[in-house]
Amino acid sequence: MYKWLDERLDLTGLYQKVLRKAFPVHHSFFLGEITLFAFIVLVLTGIFLTLNFEPSIREVKLPDGRTVPAAYASVLYIDSLPFGAVIRSLHHWSAHVMIAAAFLHMLRILLSGAYKKPRELNYLVGLALLGLAVVTAFTGYALPYDNYAVTATRIGYGIAASIPWVGGAIAEVMFGGEFPGSDRSIPRLYSLHVLWLPLLLMALIGVHMAIMMKQKHTQPRYAERVAPGKILGVPMYPQQMVMMGILFALYVGVMTFIAGAFLAHPIEAFGPPTPNTPAVKPDWYFLWIYGILQLIPSSWEFHLFGATIGPEFIGGVVIPGILALVGLLLPFVDTRKDKMRYMELPSEHPVRTSVILALLVFFLMTTLAGYKIEFQQQGSILGNNAVLWTLVLGGPLLTYLVSYTLLRIFYGKEKEKARQ
Amino acid sequence: MDEREIRLQRSRRRLFLKTAIGTGIGLSLVSAFYVGASLRPKAEVTPEKEPLKPGDILVYAQGGGEPKPIRPEELKPGDPFVLAYPMDPKTKVVKSGEAKNTVLVVRYNPAELSPEVAQNGVEGIVAYSAVCTHLGCIVSQWVADKKAGLCPCHGGIYDFARGAQVIAGPPPRPVPQLPLKAEEGVLVAAGEFLGEVGVKAEAGFCRHV
Repeated sequence: MYKWLDERLDLTGLYQKVLRKAFPVHHSFFLGEITLFAFIVLVLTGIFLTLNFEPSIREVKLPDGRTVPAAYASVLYIDSLPFGAVIRSLHHWSAHVMIAAAFLHMLRILLSGAYKKPRELNYLVGLALLGLAVVTAFTGYALPYDNYAVTATRIGYGIAASIPWVGGAIAEVMFGGEFPGSDRSIPRLYSLHVLWLPLLLMALIGVHMAIMMKQKHTQPRYAERVAPGKILGVPMYPQQMVMMGILFALYVGVMTFIAGAFLAHPIEAFGPPTPNTPAVKPDWYFLWIYGILQLIPSSWEFHLFGATIGPEFIGGVVIPGILALVGLLLPFVDTRKDKMRYMELPSEHPVRTSVILALLVFFLMTTLAGYKIEFQQQGSILGNNAVLWTLVLGGPLLTYLVSYTLLRIFYGKEKEKARQ
Repeated sequence: MDEREIRLQRSRRRLFLKTAIGTGIGLSLVSAFYVGASLRPKAEVTPEKEPLKPGDILVYAQGGGEPKPIRPEELKPGDPFVLAYPMDPKTKVVKSGEAKNTVLVVRYNPAELSPEVAQNGVEGIVAYSAVCTHLGCIVSQWVADKKAGLCPCHGGIYDFARGAQVIAGPPPRPVPQLPLKAEEGVLVAAGEFLGEVGVKAEAGFCRHV
């Protein structure tokens, strides 16, 4: 059988060319794989969810007499199916894990300098993937059409509409009219969420992997000691495949347990949309933007060529946009001449490492600002805008200084020693 | 350049092919734009999505059931505000399909109100648009110690006794007031909103039907 196939498909050639490719092993290299596994689980659970979901807000009557939007009713129906609620919860949890793992994967790339020549292009593809993953998660948010989801999506609509000149058009095309209210919002968000964005994600994931295979994975630092100049790693088949298989099984097992034990987004508790806005909090990966929106006072409003540049545009688009731009330009600013083979150690690059740590503290502090209302209700001093501003600006600065000093003290000497 | 290349360059067959391919791509792009224009959403105005008009009766915002008009005696000073929708007095259609129609109604002691706010109210009862001017959430919570309304999305607080002045949080403008009158024992809109409702967004480009 193998021989018959081999004569026609040249399986041995494939095996020697592709499946014997060596992949370096390091625990931080699994972050990208976890992102991929989360995506696979998202696609599979998502396909299950589409089988019973009705993307419409027409009014339907529930058995208990309530009139609710059809989308809401169909999600209630999904929850009533055997394991339906668990699969929906697994879908929700996997979205969290995918974004978290992608973010950590990016941190690993940043800390080890792996975005440098020749991998600038793949770094940009990776950034695009992270951005797309967040957008995809957002378009899925409104689909259950419960009170919580509608309120959260409405904020997103407001931010999109606040973009000067083109905001209204962008928001209406993406949301199929004004949100909430338009009958076409849910069909359009649904199509984006289950078809267009996943296809784009799959294509880009393919590109990401192909470039990685072509350019070869960066080698961990120990490889330089063990076998300088050689590619160190385990072959894709069987060792790497086995590791991936185990990790995937582990991922599915752990996540299904979490999804079953902690049901995500209980739409029955949130209820169908009403004018009574619930106190919403966005998902954690939006919480920092949400915090910035609460910090910026209403006086930050300018008028420019007939357009209004308001606080929601500054907080929701400009500040995240600046961060994204810095990320995009990084590999063209922090460059090297020779092709990179081995990862750089964070301790060897005190400035870069300290900036990354400072950015992390910035994210944490702005996330803290997302709890401003709660702090105010408890009468904590953290409810004070000036205190929060101090934390948001001072925290990262202090982190940078401390981290830079420590790295210099502890690793500066070693470097000099190594030079001698 | 050898003879073959020169011949190829002069060849009219090549020119024909290039022109044909170019025209084909051009035409498909034009038709793609034509199809892409259907991304532009159509806004249909159904009776429950009509904007608020003067003379509309204010009814309690509730999910389904018989619409219940708001009577002045049901509101007490110091109580939280109630959310309401306008109802067309002739067709009895509650205009709840348009979020911008959401109104909040609250009663103060007439002495607490600033004069320009009081003149558009009825015996201390005043009404405002409930759509937050920050990002369009519905102002839905009552802050009892400040006698003000809180938008739970980003913490904007409006003081309704003083023209919905923003006393905390990010909203750029107060929510506009809705002049009220009492007719046959129920609250009625006496005019249009005294300002722009909701987020000041860039004009959309819906095709209005």
